[in-house]
Amino acid sequence: MSRFTLRDSILATLLAALVLSAMPWLMSDFALALTLTCLMYAGLAVSWAMFCGATNYLSLATAAFFGMGAYVTAWGAETLAYGLAVLLGGLAAAVFAALVGAAVLHLRGAYFAVITFGLGELVRHGITYYEKAYAGTVGRVISDPPETVTIYHTVLLLTALAVVTALAVRASRLGLALRGIGSDEERARTLGVDTRRAKVLAFSLSAFFPGALGAAMAMRWTYIDPLSVFNPFIGFQTVLIAMVGGAHTILGPIASSVLFSLLTEYLRLQFPYLFLVILGLLLILLVLYLPGGLASLLDRWRWGKSRA
Amino acid sequence: MREPLLSAQGVSVRFGGLVAVDEVDLAVHAGELVGVIGPNGAGKTTFFHALSGILVPTSGRIVVVGDDLTGKSAHAFARHGIARTFQTPRVFKEMPAIDNIRFGLEFAGRTRKHAHDAFDEPEAILEFLGLADVAAVPAGGLTPSKQRLLEIGMALGARPRVLLLDEVAAGLTHTEVELTAQLIRRVRDELGLAVIWIEHAVRVLMDYVERVAVLHQGRKIADGDPRAVAKDAGVIEAYLGDEGEPAVEPTRKAA
Repeated sequence: MSRFTLRDSILATLLAALVLSAMPWLMSDFALALTLTCLMYAGLAVSWAMFCGATNYLSLATAAFFGMGAYVTAWGAETLAYGLAVLLGGLAAAVFAALVGAAVLHLRGAYFAVITFGLGELVRHGITYYEKAYAGTVGRVISDPPETVTIYHTVLLLTALAVVTALAVRASRLGLALRGIGSDEERARTLGVDTRRAKVLAFSLSAFFPGALGAAMAMRWTYIDPLSVFNPFIGFQTVLIAMVGGAHTILGPIASSVLFSLLTEYLRLQFPYLFLVILGLLLILLVLYLPGGLASLLDRWRWGKSRA
Repeated sequence: MREPLLSAQGVSVRFGGLVAVDEVDLAVHAGELVGVIGPNGAGKTTFFHALSGILVPTSGRIVVVGDDLTGKSAHAFARHGIARTFQTPRVFKEMPAIDNIRFGLEFAGRTRKHAHDAFDEPEAILEFLGLADVAAVPAGGLTPSKQRLLEIGMALGARPRVLLLDEVAAGLTHTEVELTAQLIRRVRDELGLAVIWIEHAVRVLMDYVERVAVLHQGRKIADGDPRAVAKDAGVIEAYLGDEGEPAVEPTRKAA
């Protein structure tokens, strides 16, 4: 990927988005739904890797950001325009991430993972309590949702934006600072990086996309409750996809989210009772034999070609 | 008198009951090359941690070019022009060598200029260090002695005013040590830096520095001309008491 300039990569992303934007008129409903899932996970995994891949942090907060976005939509569905709800969902998650990040980003490894996981649960229970106590409900029906095509285009736009942002961050000083933090944080400080500021900024930026995607997807599900939108599996799945793809790359998580979504769907149809077992086994094999992710396959292939 | 670039005033660092650095004063000016020696556990590295903002001293002040930076984070020290190396090289292993050098240029040294622009490009710094041919190699794949050189390059990338070198000669062959010492002198001369150089292998250091400070059990027990310091009764005592070998005699006249 490094052989392409930033401009080439952004152009390629926009071109791919343009092609994908025609799909609602070319695909069956089933294929379109599958593409939508691929796109959602691609957006989630790329934005996760934007921060975590470079810095070697393990965040399980994706579900929290996603759920917050979904609830912004649910609460604002009747008063806010759809586009505005999506934007606000992203901003809410970004502000939340900045506040939380300032408090817990000095933690590393398992501590950070556990704290971010706990955060999701905290927000979920907080919202459940609020809904029960003040709104007298647990779930919410979103009346008058936009057309599937509109939702598809929103998710496509957000995912393309996530990829472009990830590309720009990687090429920027912020990206260099994040890689330094991932390699040796104290060393980065002794070379002049305000590591706290860089981390909070990047964590907040990376939270915008899951927030906005949550807000968009809530419209598609039309009925949401805390358990479904703060589902920790969204967080785990995102981390797995990014890691299987190669979290230090951008193309890796994209490829892996397509592979994952298709594989899950295929296995679910072919082996309805065994599909989770098979998926689990595949994951274990991938992690054991391909620790650098799918992206490392590409590296190996290039290396092999250059030697031949 | 000129204002010192870096001055430590009564700096102490305590870990619980242990006093690692005890009321040390040290001031360095532009163009000075100062050695800091002392037996194992004398507090040399801890003192460096305090000078570079990695540790906050328990008491005392650290002033950089007139600004009191006591208690500030390490990145503030770096942006004021304090750059350092570590005893065990701490390069960014996954990054190509050239990005390791670019790092300091992009952050600590971003708002400063070098005395002359020969060192304003990462390629030029690599060339100067003789590492031009490994620019694209991930730093973790370099030999330990090349990693040491690269670390000096990282510090130079930060466009420093004061360069802190923590045992850059450790683990190098005799020839490599001589080359490194000459290199240090050259950057000092060409860029007008102040350099503080800690070394355990004292002999080479005594040949190259114009001034040496001796730490012993956290205290500064001597500070001055290397030849005078080598004859100092307290210094000989400290080294004899510790290792039974007065290794501080210069082998050559400091030029």
